[in-house]
Amino acid sequence: MIVVELRKLLTRPRTWITIALIDALPTLVAVLLALTDVGPRPGTGPAFLSAVLADGTLFPLAALAMVLPLFLPVAVALTAGDAIAGEAQTGTLRYLLARPVGRTRLLVAKLVAVIAFVLLTVLVVAATGFVVGALLLGDAPLSSSVSGTSLTQQELAWRTVLALGYAVLAMLGVASIALFFSTITDSPPGAAMGALAFLIASTLLLTLDAANALQPYLPTRYWLAFVDLFRDPILWRDVGFGVLQQGVYVLLFLGAAWANFTTRDITS
Amino acid sequence: MTAARRWCLVLAGAAVLLVAPLAVRALPADDSEITATDLLERVQQSAAVPHTGYAESVGSLQLPVADEFSELAALLGERSRLRVWWRGVDDWRVDAIDPAGETDLFHNGLTTTSWDYQAERAVVTPEPTIRLPRSADLLPPQLARLALDDALPEEVSRLPAERIAGQDAPGLRLEPSMPQSTIDHVDVWADEDTGLPLQVEVWGVDSTLAAVSSTFLDVSLATPSAEVTQFVAPATAEVVVEDVFDVAAGADRFSEAVAPRRLAGLATRPGTPQDRPVGQYGRGLTTMVAVPLWDQAADPLREQLLDTPGARIGSAGVALTVGPLNLRLAPEFGREDRSWLVAGTVDAATVTHATRRLHGVDYTSRPVG
Amino acid sequence: MITTDGLTKRYGPVLAVDCIDLDVRAGDIYGFLGANGSGKTTTVRMLLGLVLPTSGTIRLLDEPMPRAAHSVLPQVGALIEGPAAYGHLSGRSNLALLDAAGPGGPRRTRRARVDAALEQVGLARVSSRQVRAYSLGMRQRLGLAAALLRTPRLLILDEPTNGLDPQGIREIRDLLVGLHAQGTTVFLSSHLLAEVEQLCTRVGVLDRGRLVLQDELTVLQQPTGRTVVRTPDAERAHGLLDGRVEHRDGDRIVVRRTDAAALNSLLVGQGVRVHELGPERRTLEQVVLAATTESPEVAP
Repeated sequence: MIVVELRKLLTRPRTWITIALIDALPTLVAVLLALTDVGPRPGTGPAFLSAVLADGTLFPLAALAMVLPLFLPVAVALTAGDAIAGEAQTGTLRYLLARPVGRTRLLVAKLVAVIAFVLLTVLVVAATGFVVGALLLGDAPLSSSVSGTSLTQQELAWRTVLALGYAVLAMLGVASIALFFSTITDSPPGAAMGALAFLIASTLLLTLDAANALQPYLPTRYWLAFVDLFRDPILWRDVGFGVLQQGVYVLLFLGAAWANFTTRDITS
Repeated sequence: MTAARRWCLVLAGAAVLLVAPLAVRALPADDSEITATDLLERVQQSAAVPHTGYAESVGSLQLPVADEFSELAALLGERSRLRVWWRGVDDWRVDAIDPAGETDLFHNGLTTTSWDYQAERAVVTPEPTIRLPRSADLLPPQLARLALDDALPEEVSRLPAERIAGQDAPGLRLEPSMPQSTIDHVDVWADEDTGLPLQVEVWGVDSTLAAVSSTFLDVSLATPSAEVTQFVAPATAEVVVEDVFDVAAGADRFSEAVAPRRLAGLATRPGTPQDRPVGQYGRGLTTMVAVPLWDQAADPLREQLLDTPGARIGSAGVALTVGPLNLRLAPEFGREDRSWLVAGTVDAATVTHATRRLHGVDYTSRPVG
Repeated sequence: MITTDGLTKRYGPVLAVDCIDLDVRAGDIYGFLGANGSGKTTTVRMLLGLVLPTSGTIRLLDEPMPRAAHSVLPQVGALIEGPAAYGHLSGRSNLALLDAAGPGGPRRTRRARVDAALEQVGLARVSSRQVRAYSLGMRQRLGLAAALLRTPRLLILDEPTNGLDPQGIREIRDLLVGLHAQGTTVFLSSHLLAEVEQLCTRVGVLDRGRLVLQDELTVLQQPTGRTVVRTPDAERAHGLLDGRVEHRDGDRIVVRRTDAAALNSLLVGQGVRVHELGPERRTLEQVVLAATTESPEVAP
């Protein structure tokens, strides 16, 4: 079933259009930076963007920092929101289930396909970032960490891989939430909007001091913690919490999706 | 399985996952028999205790100032996330981290290097004797020692232990006995064996919110490796050597003024130099500073203070109260280019009194050194 | 092949399917008749495990549903409320994906299976075209092909000829007859009486959620024991047969309890011209109408 879902994902034109759109933003930023040579003022731009003028090898990370807060979650919410509701809307859900495909299996396969989508997107963004960074931006002989220490190519490479992996994990929560909403409604945009509303609320609450006690539970709280992987020594705290938290979100919302979907009448 | 049973299963799982961390935190900490004076002594002697940790401090004082004082305003009015590697008083590193970068302090006794990632700039300065508070001062150990170093045994009492960063930490409450103090009490929780403070809360008089609080969320008493506290500037970074650390250090170094030894009934703070331009008075967290400022620094500050709701304008300059903090900026009589900034955790009357004195102070000039 | 016992589905206050006991036997072409909204689709969905019954049990191929769905459904082909497919993929890719999604069916023979199914429904020539370019009829055929993929023992078809032209309907009918001849049991849900009458061996009639009739078509259409006479001399004939005439309608007279041959000779002997004379058989329409109007259930 997972293979089938992956094939569906990869053969769908929408997947590639979405990835191309997401990829366009960092590329545009890189071109603008290279043309104008004007970096963001310190403390204003996304992480790493101030550093890429001197060191293009950091551009995959800057690209990640650009797409992670908004583009990527929106794409994930749309894709995961479409997972069940989309099948219901086209009517293929009833044929899949009568094939038969177990409902739990279908849910898991859908989640795996969404993760594959995130992975693909992140890889494309990182690869483009790498090429664009190498071609257009600075070529410092040695990269430096956020703490100012030098990083060898190897260290930079594995930390980048970790950061990409973390970005994929960070999207698990949104994916599960959207998947849950997708089992409730037969309208894919409705499911995506539900998940996005959740994220917007989370982002809003993060800025509110009164909601301090809630913050460790908010799904967007640890998203940008991948920057911590580039401190020296690495600050694992938030990264660890982030992974744990996303795991809890997957358990909860996939559980809720399972409880709802496996006992639901399919009338679409 | 019916729908209801499945939902029950999911809800039960959710409850466990959400409540488990809270329950672990709610477990009572083991208290100890240690007396308040013993604990006070241990805390006072903990400066050399090596440790590595992650702390968060929250300030609730909204200072309406910018420019030279913006970092101070951020420290006292916002949440700071701090990492510390402490090998000793003269060998440490503190990183103030933010989502897109960090500002680090590396200290090696003689100099302090400040590294700002986003500006790609390292500034090396000699360690000043007088300076404004900096990020490192907000770490629980520094803040606690600032409050407790000159504390008298009769000012402290025991508080029940709390679990902080996974450690059982007996508590200590300091209630300043100085009548001028606007600090109601300072609560400190410390590691019993080493006396290393793990959490501090500073409470102003009549407030419902701690003025400043600081807590270790992770701490280890292992000695950090020497490499960690060494700063080697990256090749692309700009490295600047500056003479003065901040505006207070600059005033202390270059001003011709001399602050009195005793001001508004407060003696010079123990352990701080006398007969310098900047005067520090009081004891513990009940403290007052008098800083002579040139117009370049004083004028923008005055503008800002005048624009602040609640600012009071009187014969001795403009005054403001923010929580337990009182400050007043007044030009010096007969010296058009110099003003005095008096600020501290003392009552408004004391600050006004001090400013009046400085306003017309008959200072003695000293040669520029 | 399909037996249900007290199958009931309630959506909130609405009783969609009310305690029905279906009995579909191996070798049947079972016509499941009912007006739109009578609960046909809900029943079909319950048979396939899509809708979960409020109460009652279902046995499909002698195994309980939906518990044994994993082993039963691969032997069942279904067309539920119209076909559905991914528009951006070709018909062939759609079938291949659907085949791969379910259990069983080795990968090596997938291509052959898909080709055979496409051939059966007459889509082989357009199989590589995107489904979004298919006509309604082609989609219907693709849906049938999907149902036939695994050479099922039981076909559950909900309105299979929807959207087809007369030629297409005939092809599908021939296809079903052919499959039936090879031993496939067919459960055909429809609101078209003629379709069921032409094709089915057994009929069940659903009216407002209740199964009001279930029997062999031949039994339902048995002679009623009355004779129908059509004559231009209806007035005279009526006079001759006075007392035995059940009903007269223009030139059509229905006569009770007689031997057709004797009646014919009587009429002809009396000089009554006879256009037509024969035993009365009820049409399926009449049977269904009678059953549904007799139904005591009154909509609340």
